[in-house]
Amino acid sequence: MSELKPRKDLLDIESLSLEEIEYIFENAAPFKQLFQRSVKKVPTLRGKTVLNLFYEPSTRTSSSFEVAANRLSADVTNFAVSSSSIVKGESLLDTIETLQAMRSDYIVIRHQAAGVPGIVAKHTRASVLNAGDGYHAHPTQALLDSMTFREVYPDYRGRKVVIVGDILHSRVARSTSTLFNKLGIEVGVLGPGSLVPDGRHDFMTRLHSWDDVFDWGPDAVYLLRVQMERQEGQFFPSISEYHKMYGMHSERIEKMRQLGAYLMHPGPVNRGVEITDEAMSYEKSLISTQVENGIAIRMAVLHWLKPETNKD
Amino acid sequence: MRLFKNGSIAREDSAELQKADLLVNDEGVIVEVAPGIATSDGTEETDCSGCVLVPGMFDLNVHAREPGFEHKETLKTCAEAAINGGVTGIVLMPDTDPPVDSGNLVKSLQDLVSEVSPIAMLPAGCLTKGREGKEFAGFSGMANRGVAMLTDSDHAILCPDLLRHCMEYAKDFDLLVTTHGDTPALTKAGSINEGKVSYRLGLPGIPAISQEVAIDRDIRVAQHTGARLHLQQISTANGVQSIACAKEAGTRVSCEVSPHHLLLTEEDITDYNTHFKLDPPLRGQEDADALLQGLLDGIIDAIASNHAPHTDFEKSADFASAPFGVTGLETTVLALYDRFIRKNVFGWDLLIRKYSSAPRQIIGLDPIAITEGSKAEFFVFDPTSETLVDRDYLKTASPVTPFLGKTLSGAIRETVV
Repeated sequence: MSELKPRKDLLDIESLSLEEIEYIFENAAPFKQLFQRSVKKVPTLRGKTVLNLFYEPSTRTSSSFEVAANRLSADVTNFAVSSSSIVKGESLLDTIETLQAMRSDYIVIRHQAAGVPGIVAKHTRASVLNAGDGYHAHPTQALLDSMTFREVYPDYRGRKVVIVGDILHSRVARSTSTLFNKLGIEVGVLGPGSLVPDGRHDFMTRLHSWDDVFDWGPDAVYLLRVQMERQEGQFFPSISEYHKMYGMHSERIEKMRQLGAYLMHPGPVNRGVEITDEAMSYEKSLISTQVENGIAIRMAVLHWLKPETNKD
Repeated sequence: MRLFKNGSIAREDSAELQKADLLVNDEGVIVEVAPGIATSDGTEETDCSGCVLVPGMFDLNVHAREPGFEHKETLKTCAEAAINGGVTGIVLMPDTDPPVDSGNLVKSLQDLVSEVSPIAMLPAGCLTKGREGKEFAGFSGMANRGVAMLTDSDHAILCPDLLRHCMEYAKDFDLLVTTHGDTPALTKAGSINEGKVSYRLGLPGIPAISQEVAIDRDIRVAQHTGARLHLQQISTANGVQSIACAKEAGTRVSCEVSPHHLLLTEEDITDYNTHFKLDPPLRGQEDADALLQGLLDGIIDAIASNHAPHTDFEKSADFASAPFGVTGLETTVLALYDRFIRKNVFGWDLLIRKYSSAPRQIIGLDPIAITEGSKAEFFVFDPTSETLVDRDYLKTASPVTPFLGKTLSGAIRETVV
């Protein structure tokens, strides 16, 4: 593969070229093979520092980035901002000043407001990795989802994925569907009308029921976490009704089995809401693979991005 | 005496410009309008060759921020900005601290204005005390002080019963009731028009129905009470349609549109640039088209900038947290000239009707014109020049505008007041 133009930040999926996407996948695969070895570490980022800056509580994503950075031999600082001291938008520039002074080479940031990683990126020389901003984007999630899908379907082009749940408030749905679309994977969506707004996205097929879904014949079903905390207002009558209408249970798992469809979920799972305990043990669940691939993808992204911290 | 030579005079009732010289005496009164006025001794002469002389504009919707938010703007910087933009009269929104909700506060603001401003800056008063939407503000005291209109500005009166009684009571004083058209329960924490762009950017959206539902309600209450209603900052095609129906039915309603909603759409919001965060939000192209059509058809009565300064620092927050509003006094004439007049979409006559005469008439003032015997209140516009909208050009204390860094055709050489 020819040399890519160096890139400082990863903020969203839209701005990635297909060439860059392939480059990330090409690098993630050998990193993943590394996990089978007794020594899982490479010296790629020795002497470099990674700052994990999470304005929203997250264990999984921040740990995944931490493990990825550790396996590349970088020094990691975790900077969790407790909800009581959430930095207000007004002092964002002050925060950036502070970050700049810490001279980190990479800043991994999650923030409740869309666009914040972009603002940080503009004002620092460090590479900024968006680990989720508002409803906007979660690019490494999209990359790990696509990596996972491509592992089980090397002939992924033209295959179909249905995303189920709260499309409106989900950055995962936005980034993952955008990347699937870029890769030529068809995307369908299922969810209550109040959470799957019409006319916002050009490329997703709206499905209205599980019958619709199974008729459409997906190769994978991607369940979203029901994020009650991110919704302002009421969008469906109750959790139990949501589960009945849109949740994954043994009956629907049986249909999945007949179709040979895989099951995906970004985690953490709400058992009993979007998925039942029995459904969790479905043999074609890719949930653990997603977690593992998440580390490989984040290593590949850290390896690929070029901080400008050496510039004057 | 000052003699403005070789200019062309724009009027509201004619698309044709009138070539004439203009003689203004030391009292600021236009004493002669005629071609080829001879220069006499002691007369200061200004060559206006190629320039258009335009009656001063009047902006119905201005947040001068004083008292209370002087770090954003003061009456003085606001007046300077107005003059810089060819605007010679404005209505001051009452969302100051304290809010202007009594006769005494109107009086003290009028006193402040008379000390610092060479132009008319007319206070609007609140509809409800403290703009809290709970109880009446002091209507009669404010009416006695000659308040321009009553409005809670961007605070909606949630209770239709209170709005109804405010309108009934205002009618006795022949006070104009002005509303901003917002349904907070629908707007919620939205920061951008709800649609494809809000989805793409992952920002909470403000649906068009948030303004439309409010407009429809306010029109109904105005119809029922017979009060005079002015609707601010119309932003959607359906809103224009509602107002057209109301006017057809004989409702005493007027409305305004901002230059930003005429010229820009949600698609212009790139890179989370908070200089495009407005209340109401920028909508779609079909809305902007309907607003322009509404302006041309006469359904939209006036242009008003909703000049709403915020400091660079305040606007440097992320898009969802940054405050709504941008400045407009210094860019409205230029931007509308650049996009519409220069391209013959409409003429100076329409701009004068919508941004000078109608706004004055809506609050009960006489329109102004460049005629013998009138006060000299006009600006000299040079269509052959251009203006770079940068910090040097802008006189407002908070140079935050979507046109920042852009070059607009034409230049306001001087505003005479």
